[in-house]
Parts: sequence; C-alpha cells; structure tokens
Amino acid sequence: MSPPIPYVNSADLHALLPTTVIAAAGLLALVVDLFMSAGRARRWIAVAIAAAGLVIAGVLTAQQYGHSYPAFGGAYMQGGFAVVLGEIAIFATLVSLGLGIGIGRDDQVAGTTAIVLWSTCGALLMAGAGNLMMIFLGLELLSLGLYCLCAMSVRSAARESGLKYLLLSSMASGFLLYGMALLFGGTGSVALAAISAAPPSPLIALGAGLFLVGIAFKLSLVPFHSWTPDVYEGAPLSVTAYMSVVTKAGALGVLGRFAYAALPPATANAILLPVWTVAAISMIVGNLAALQQIDMKRLLAYSGIGQVGYIVAAFAGQTPLGLRYAIFYLAAYTFMNLGAFAVVALMLKDADGSLGVGAFAGLAYRRPWLAAAMTFFLLSLAGLPPTAGFTGKILILASSVGAGYWWLSVLLIAGTAISVYVYFKIVRAMFVRVDEAHVRAERSTNPLPWISIAVCAAAVFVLGIYPLAPSDIIPLAK
Amino acid sequence: MTPSAFAVPIENYIGLSAVIFFLGVTGVIVRRNPLIMLMSIELMFNAANLALITFAKAWVNAAGHIFAFLVITVAAAEAAIGLAIVVVVFRRAAHVDVDEIATLHG
Repeated sequence: MSPPIPYVNSADLHALLPTTVIAAAGLLALVVDLFMSAGRARRWIAVAIAAAGLVIAGVLTAQQYGHSYPAFGGAYMQGGFAVVLGEIAIFATLVSLGLGIGIGRDDQVAGTTAIVLWSTCGALLMAGAGNLMMIFLGLELLSLGLYCLCAMSVRSAARESGLKYLLLSSMASGFLLYGMALLFGGTGSVALAAISAAPPSPLIALGAGLFLVGIAFKLSLVPFHSWTPDVYEGAPLSVTAYMSVVTKAGALGVLGRFAYAALPPATANAILLPVWTVAAISMIVGNLAALQQIDMKRLLAYSGIGQVGYIVAAFAGQTPLGLRYAIFYLAAYTFMNLGAFAVVALMLKDADGSLGVGAFAGLAYRRPWLAAAMTFFLLSLAGLPPTAGFTGKILILASSVGAGYWWLSVLLIAGTAISVYVYFKIVRAMFVRVDEAHVRAERSTNPLPWISIAVCAAAVFVLGIYPLAPSDIIPLAK
Repeated sequence: MTPSAFAVPIENYIGLSAVIFFLGVTGVIVRRNPLIMLMSIELMFNAANLALITFAKAWVNAAGHIFAFLVITVAAAEAAIGLAIVVVVFRRAAHVDVDEIATLHG
C-alpha cells in the first residue's frame, strides 16, 4: 500500500521554479513573435527572450545547490546532482541557440526556440526525477521536442534524420516503459527508493534490464548507437550540439540515480555489469569508428559515443567519488564539445550546413585564433594536459581502479590512445600549408559563437588546473 | 480489494502484455513501412499500459492507473509528431518505405 500523497506546498513549487521559468520563456517567445514584422529582428528577439529565461533559471537552479528536498512526495529531487546536471543542460541550451541565432528560417525561429526550451525542461525533470513516472515524462518531453528539431530543415537529410530518430528512439522508449511497468510490478510502487527496499525477484531483474537497454540507447552506448551518427549528421548543427550534451545530461542523471539509489545493493553489481561492459565497448568502438569519418558532425558523434563510455565507466562500483567524477567529466565534456561545435559553426556560412574534415586544411594560416581554439578543445577531447579532459580522465581512472575495475581502466587508456589519433588528424591538417584555392573556406557572420568559445576555453582551462567536482551529490534525499 | 479479485489469473494478463510487447518489437524490426512501424511502437506502449494496470490492481496502488493515463497522453503526442514527420519525409515519394530513404548511410 503506498502512502497517501501529501498536499502540494510552496516548497514543492519552488523546486520546479527553474523549469517553470524556462517553460514560460518559451511561451513568451511564441507570443511576442506574433507581434513582430518579418525580418532578422525576429530571430534576435526570440533568442534574447530564451537567453533571459535560461539565465534566470540558471541562477534559480544555482540557489538550490546544497538544499536537497524531495518535492511532490519524492517525485522530483531538488538539489543533489540535479543542480549541476541542470546547469549543464541550461548552459548547453544557451550555447546551441547562439550557434546560428536560433534554428530554422526567420519565421520559424520563435517556434523552434520554444521547442528547444521545452526540451530543456524535459532534461531538467529527468535530472531530478525521483520516480519512474517523472523519468518517463522528462524523457518524452525531451525526445518529442528533439524529433521536431531534427526534421526542422528543408534538407531531405534532416527530415530523414528526424524520422530515423523518431522510430528508433520511440522503440527505446517502449523498452524503457515496459521495464518500468515490470519494476512497478515487482515493487508495487513507482518510487525509485522502493526498488532498493523490495526483495529481489525476476520481475525486478528483467524490468531493470529493459530499463537499462532504454537508457543505453538514449546515451548511445554501443551496440545501441547506430542511430547517433546518422541523426547527428542529418540534423541542423545547433540541434546536433544541443542533443550531444542535453540528452546525455538527462540520461546520465537517470542512470546515476538508478545505479546509486534504486537498485538493491545485493543484486546491483550483477544487474549493472552489462552496463559497464557496453561502456567499455563504447570507448573502443566509438573511437575506432571516429577514425574513418570525414564529416565533422559524424566524427563528433562517434567521439561522443567514446566520451559517454568514459563517463559511464566512472559509475562502476557505485562509489560516491565515481558519481562526483562522472559529473565532473560530463561538465568537462560539455565545455570541450560545445567549444568544438562553436568552432565548426564559425566555419559555416549557413548554420544548417555540414562541414567536412578537409575544410580544416591550413586553417592555422587563414584563421590562427580559430585554429588555436580548436586545437585546445581537441587536446581536451583527447585527454591531454593542461585541460579539463585530462583531469577528468585521471579522476575516472582513479575511481575505477579504486573500485577494483582494472579492466575498465585498461580499456579506457586504450580508447584514449585511439582517440588521440582521431583528434590529431584534424590538428595536423590545420597546421599543414595548402593551396588556398583547393579549400572550401566559409565564414559565419554571427559573432555569438566567439563568446561561447571564450567561455568554453576558459572553463576547460580552469577545470583542467583545478578540478571543481561538486560535493553535493546526494542521489536520493530520504 | 485483494489480488483474488481477478476473475482471470494475473499471469494471463501479464502473459498477454508480454505477447503484445513482443509483437510490437517484431513489428518495428521486421516491417519497412514507417506507418506500420509507428503502430508497432504504439503496441509496445499499450503492452506496458496493460501491465501497469494489472499490477496497479494487484498491488492496490492507483499510481499504476495514473501512469497508464500519462502513457496514453504521451503516445498520442508521439503519434501526432510521428505522422507529421512521415508526411514531410514522404510527401514527394510514390509510396512509403524506410529502405527508400538512404541519404544518410548508417
């Protein structure tokens, strides 16, 4: 018998205030757009409203740091790691909207901006979800928005990527949902905390398995990754950048809470071993496949598959330090990955276009600052000092060795070695002198990515010198 | 109400839901028409709904019923977006088949 649901009080509403502000900013952007005449100003107004809402939500989220509170009877966990993951999602939304000043044509921008903001609400709900219903709601809110955003282009590749993402991701949602139904059957409660208290049963093991398949798909871990490169390549650049960080932040929040707080300690290791295994495979396969890519978005997709493998590996053994380091590495990945996306955006005239690796040839001589920034972000992605990528990998290695997962550490180092080759191919190309006539050199007129590059580079450097891993990471407030 | 209030044993409901779920998964994997694939996904969702409602009755916990309503709402939104995307992708094509769209090589 479940306890009666208590009345909603102001503290509950306060926990959801950042999400409410973002959702309201989306509505406001839509309404204001009704009164705008055609022209480029429409883009700026919509993006400015979104940015204002996101900054306010960011400040409100920061105020929740260290104030854990189970809102709505434990459905939404305020505080804990939800704060850091929320900030990551909010930052990624801001940067993505800046890459092309909104997404789509002038008359579409208000609509796409609203969808982006509501998807971010979904990611925030996932990051703080304390029961199965909230996880499903957050996940679907995020995914439904992304299906539309992927298809939001006149290019047939974009529409195709939207359809592919819709079909495969909905199927993964189906697995996740059926797993949730079985977990509910095994425990008699939708609360994550109830799963760890219930006696082990085949229903719980099977439910957890299906649930983890769904999450592995959303995290694009190998062998559930085949959609990632196609969808990343087809979708508009801003959407790809958004997807690469925000879905990971939400799904890692769910996986973290599930691994640390929901599974019964006796059987947790047996249930989670396949997850560590697919993480290890992702590190190797993701980086190996990245070697052969000639499209920048595909390359970053495969590199993301490898990176998410590193992050999930930090969870192995479920040590509290591992959770801190995973969140630290996700923050590092956010900055270096979005920095690289901002560089790509500056090399495209149209933010909806695509960029081949060949466009980087001789970049150091044409645009030295851009080449320097890209080199720095690639150094970080490869995991070399003095960058956040290096520090993050050292911390993950320390945590997985400490938890006794030697084989994961060895594979992590092997994956890193392969990835160095992937990223340095681009660095080498940038510093080779080429005939200018042979390079398709485009420039963006949008100055906003430069701000993103400056912020990301500063963050990658600071986190590389001083690892500010969050200390308040309580997965489930009791 | 107790589990004995089931006129049919609970295993039958869960067995049926598992069969529907399996049909849905097979449909998504085997069929090449995106509309049928969307329908198969709906089958997967509804299999979960049946399981949720059965368990809700067995445990006497209304959360399962609420969850099922939530899933129905989300599935409707998903179908709306899915159909819109199918229309946009196949507007110029004579017939709908996911093997015919291969600009992106997976």
